[in-house]
Amino acid sequence: MRQVAAFFVTVALAASASAQLPGLRRRAPVPPAPVLVGIDALRADFLAHTGADTIFFGSDGVVLGPPAKATLTAQAQWLLQHPEVAVRIEGHADSNDTRDHALAVGARRAEEVRQFLVLMGVPAAQLSAVSMGKERPGLPRAQTILVR
Amino acid sequence: MKFAVPFLVPALLFASAAAAQAPMPVIAVPPLTTPNDKPAGNGATTLAIAWQASQLIAQDLRSTGDMMAVAPQQKDYYSYPEVTAPTFSRWRSKGAKGLLTGFVQARSDGRLTVGCYVYDVDKGRELGRIGFAVDADDWRRAAHKCSGLAYEKLTGSPGTFDTRIAYVAQTGFGDAQVKRIAVMDSDGENHDYVTEAGPMVLTPRLSPRGNRVAYVSYLGGTPHVRVKDLDSGNERPLLPNSLAMSFAPRFSPDGSRVVFSMMNAGNVDIYVVNADGGLPHRLTSAPGVDTEASFSPDGSKILFESDRSGSQQLYVMDASGANQRRVSFGGGWYAAPDWSPDGEKIAFTRRGADGLRIGVMNIDGSGQNVLTTGPRDEGPSWAASSRELIFTRTDPTGRSGIYRVALNGGAARKVTVPQDGSDPDWSGTRD
Repeated sequence: MRQVAAFFVTVALAASASAQLPGLRRRAPVPPAPVLVGIDALRADFLAHTGADTIFFGSDGVVLGPPAKATLTAQAQWLLQHPEVAVRIEGHADSNDTRDHALAVGARRAEEVRQFLVLMGVPAAQLSAVSMGKERPGLPRAQTILVR
Repeated sequence: MKFAVPFLVPALLFASAAAAQAPMPVIAVPPLTTPNDKPAGNGATTLAIAWQASQLIAQDLRSTGDMMAVAPQQKDYYSYPEVTAPTFSRWRSKGAKGLLTGFVQARSDGRLTVGCYVYDVDKGRELGRIGFAVDADDWRRAAHKCSGLAYEKLTGSPGTFDTRIAYVAQTGFGDAQVKRIAVMDSDGENHDYVTEAGPMVLTPRLSPRGNRVAYVSYLGGTPHVRVKDLDSGNERPLLPNSLAMSFAPRFSPDGSRVVFSMMNAGNVDIYVVNADGGLPHRLTSAPGVDTEASFSPDGSKILFESDRSGSQQLYVMDASGANQRRVSFGGGWYAAPDWSPDGEKIAFTRRGADGLRIGVMNIDGSGQNVLTTGPRDEGPSWAASSRELIFTRTDPTGRSGIYRVALNGGAARKVTVPQDGSDPDWSGTRD
């Protein structure tokens, strides 16, 4: 028993000694660059860096408030770093609106967001805007959806 | 003089309840007869079809809520010559003001002749007659035409029996929701899906004769108006090669033009285009949202909604776009106007703190009357009679159904369709 224990101690000492020898230290492999291929991973990264993919409007409002502009500025920065990612902006109206007016207001909200992102330097070709009217119930909002 | 809104609404409700108490005319519908009972396809005989047609006519007339129909009974059979020489005293004693007689006859070519006569029982006088040669399995349309004759002679308004209803049939919720355009006869028969389950579709609008439907489709990503011919099945975008969002289509009364809304640089305006193609012509240019255009029955004017004043209100203009002026001046917001077929009234969706409700007003904006209780009633479309409206009601869980409500009062009634339904549109009488 004692001999076995001594053997283990010897091995342990030898291992730690070799790790400390200059010139023999093995290099850890370089961590790979974060290649985000899957759309879900891209969306998670987008959310983590921008805080929100959705901005909200007042009832019947189409104007961007300061919080919305802060969120969209962060979205624009992320999109500039990911020129390969295409984005669809969906504008929504709430169920208190009437069907066709909701379609128009949703379109204006999506367009407002699209124009702000273009103003921040995002290439227009990267962006598309569509109105969902009041077909997806919820608050008046515009959502930036990564599609590719 | 000013009324606060809470006082105004009960007054309007009371007015409509009083109007509902006017006596309803009674019409007798004894069974149609046949000169000689012959086979008429699908195992039926002319006498059997005559019996079914009589029941359908009585059901049509009862469904309007505008008259009482005495249902056909076996004991009321009459002979073929009595079609044009009825025994008026028999019906007078039962309190009937009107009488409908008729016949179904087999033709040598395998088709049927259906004839109907409507009489004033008190005066013992014929009010009108109508006759058709139809395919044996098309007798329902002939019966609907008979109902239309009786309704028009007794009320002075055209009937809504030989008309079609288009609507959006929907299943599922949220992103899993599937919407399809469906078309059916106004009594629910001949139900058919016009679009496949695929891109989202909205707001079908039938041509006045009910043979074409314009609707909004998300095919390709951008919502745009498409037109489908229901007889041939041919379908195409209203504006070929257009990338702009277009929506809210409506046909002109003669079916030759379509008005619609299109978004251009953040502004939504009303345009008109030939229904068969061509370049659209812009009618409005005010900043804001101009939409839900609806032609007057003579085609000379267009009613629409605009939020140019800061809130949704109703406006009228010449069909050329000239002379735009506001017509709604109530306390709330007004949307989705539809011009009645008789030219007298505007149906609208009222947006208020109490939700969305259906109402009517005169063409000059006077005489507003809210007809439904809400809180999510919208998108009225007139019946050909100008006495009834069809609309969408959404319940608190988000499920929607199709309802119809009569102008002369009474609660809205649900229209039976196979799935949840919304955005109904009612055609005029078919050819």
